[in-house]
Amino acid sequence: MFRILVCVKQVPEVTDVTVDTETGTLNREGVASILNPFCEYALDLALELRHANPQREIEIVAVTMGPPQARAALMRCLEMGAERAVLLTDRRFAGADTWATALTIAGIVGKLGDDIDLILVGKHAIDGDTAQTGPELAECLGLPQVTYAVDLELEGGTKKKASRWIRVRRETERGYEVLRMKLPGLVSVSRGAPLRQVCSLDDILGARNKEIATMTADDVGIAEAELGLAGSLTQVVRIFPPPARAGGEVIDGSDPGEAARRLVGFLRERELV
Amino acid sequence: MTEIRAEAVPRAAFAAVRCIRGFAAIADGHAPYLGDESKMPGAAAEYLFFPDNESELAAVFSEMGRLGVKVTVSGARTGLAGGAVPLGGAVVSLDRFDRPLGVRHDEASGEWRVTAEPRVTLGDLGEWIKKKKFPGLEETCAESLERFRQDQQAYLYPPDPTEMSASLGGTVATNASGAASYKYGPTRDWVRRLRVMTARGEVLDIRRGEYLADDRGEFTVIAADGAPTVLKVPTYTWAATKNTAGVYAAPGMDLIDLFIGSEGLFGVLTLIEVALSPRHDTISVVQFLTSDTAAIDFVIALRGDGEVDPEFIEFYDANALALLRHRQRENPKAIDMPPIPETAGAAIFFDLAFDAEAPGGAFDRLRQIAGACGASLADSWAGYESRDLARFRHFRHALPETVNAIIARRKKDHPALHKLGTDFAVPDAALSEIWEYKKSRLDESGLEWVAFGHIGDNHFHVNILPRDPGELETGLALYQEFAAKAVELGGTVSAEHGIGKIKRKFLGIMYTPAHLAEMKALKLALDPRATINPGDILDV
Repeated sequence: MFRILVCVKQVPEVTDVTVDTETGTLNREGVASILNPFCEYALDLALELRHANPQREIEIVAVTMGPPQARAALMRCLEMGAERAVLLTDRRFAGADTWATALTIAGIVGKLGDDIDLILVGKHAIDGDTAQTGPELAECLGLPQVTYAVDLELEGGTKKKASRWIRVRRETERGYEVLRMKLPGLVSVSRGAPLRQVCSLDDILGARNKEIATMTADDVGIAEAELGLAGSLTQVVRIFPPPARAGGEVIDGSDPGEAARRLVGFLRERELV
Repeated sequence: MTEIRAEAVPRAAFAAVRCIRGFAAIADGHAPYLGDESKMPGAAAEYLFFPDNESELAAVFSEMGRLGVKVTVSGARTGLAGGAVPLGGAVVSLDRFDRPLGVRHDEASGEWRVTAEPRVTLGDLGEWIKKKKFPGLEETCAESLERFRQDQQAYLYPPDPTEMSASLGGTVATNASGAASYKYGPTRDWVRRLRVMTARGEVLDIRRGEYLADDRGEFTVIAADGAPTVLKVPTYTWAATKNTAGVYAAPGMDLIDLFIGSEGLFGVLTLIEVALSPRHDTISVVQFLTSDTAAIDFVIALRGDGEVDPEFIEFYDANALALLRHRQRENPKAIDMPPIPETAGAAIFFDLAFDAEAPGGAFDRLRQIAGACGASLADSWAGYESRDLARFRHFRHALPETVNAIIARRKKDHPALHKLGTDFAVPDAALSEIWEYKKSRLDESGLEWVAFGHIGDNHFHVNILPRDPGELETGLALYQEFAAKAVELGGTVSAEHGIGKIKRKFLGIMYTPAHLAEMKALKLALDPRATINPGDILDV
């Protein structure tokens, strides 16, 4: 059995979210909650690994930490093809920052049955944009990690023994790198297919027969002082939208000569050429 | 005897009404008011008015009546039958009649109702109802609005003719329907009150249930000056299908129904009250089937089942899927769905009520029905999150958009080409027969065609895509033939698009000259000089 743990987060559908300019808080009323798109990419890669390695028995387990309604994000994972899911929910987890979240998830990794071979996370959640929880989770567990992956390939190994290595194609500012990583390890995923997967009605109904286990702070077994707000190393002081970008300058191209002159002038003025 | 008294409306000064004069000025700055979504060419209009209220509208009617100028009413201009296209004279835009007027709970029926002016769009109305926020009503309607918000139930206004920029007034005037009419019925079923201004500049205020035709099939309108006018309900039998062809008629009918779907023949709507329905969560499903006939069997089984209760049932025939597959290969994002399975020979798109925590037994039943039609729920697409519902809606629009894009390309070589889209419906029992008939005639013709749409109401659209003028002629002949066949089977020549100016000739297939004369008599009783919307529905 090769077990993949996919850590996911439920987030507000950002296209619907506005910021209350007076209080600086998010207007969440009537806003739908969805599975974070980068987490969905991570799950997609897990499913692709399974598809590409039919000779290996691969189990995909989805886990999230959040309020009871975060169950809906796990349900989406089960519909897409995860075998089972775990919901970490407890008032004592409330207010957790990325560190407390990573520590809590790390606490249950050893309690999910057999060993976990691979942990997949989205590179960041679209609500907080920190991109910290995944890397911190790897550190908490003492695992190697590769960030910003776009593709995964399990190395074949021999007939007798499956390889313990994975090849990860990751994107960088200049292009791509392919890295080998010894498993177990963690990979954060930064991109997925251009079209989101669509489930069948059979998938959706079948997911209702799969297990979503609930775990609380008691199950995690780490000191209460390290959980939730109490265990958080950072605190949110204020939330505010970034200032709106000023409109750029549009150069009319109907006279190419004049347009080129203006463009060069613009660049020189700013000492860019 | 059923009498209704018309209200005199204080008349504003004609000069106070905003007006663009002269065809050149209208064509220059306000060209969209000279046409509508039908793309039918109109004639030069000499006036364009923007009245703001009933008094200004009455002033326009008075002055145009004095000058003998005909008036075409312009709403959101989303109609496909040329109803808003002027044939000269004056255009009266209702753009300023765009306010919500009230929200109230009707204790007798237990319904929540919204009152609005006719130029409110269905999109805006839907958003207001969803958010329970109505611009301008916070003070005038505070108590009722607060009660509406306290009600934990979510609501919707069910009529959904797809085009959400359509105006409420336009959809009432055409008794618009669309996919959701399968479960919720057409617009008619949701209208509770209308105010209608007649050509005399007087208003009939009609609440549903207050004015029913008497034993002689008559209503009597008493004008403000006391003069009576008798309206005689036509004697024909209204098609037992979704139908917008001609003037509604039924024994003992409600006067309000004479105006709903009359396409502005008798007057201008100035106020509309509609009822709301509780809204529940739904799941969208595209079920793939092996063939057109399997899909029709699936539809018939779905309709006959007491447990599975679709919100709508839409069809994609094999040609429609082939066209979409081709478009997917060209531009996957345009369709925004996974590749359509190569094994699929047809598809049925439907929505069902869905509780994500406990889907319920209807889905077990659905599995059985699909199995009996040789299909599996594994061969489907489904989604219930709001973003998925939006994605499925986009998919629904993809086919007509693809057809329109192909026709637009062909028009470059043959400017006279246009799509031939049928709007015929038949009774339930005739679904298989009409499908087999049309498919066999279309296949014989060698024309390019697709079939899709509201099969739940036996109202799938056949779109013929002519490649040259010769094929256009062949297609037009088939179109006429299909209209006659639909009527022969007890159906209609226009299930939802209306008659307007473009489809007037088809009324003769469905109605005898005597029936058409009955409609004309009604028109002239309420509008003796045929001032309002000339050329719509009738040749007056």
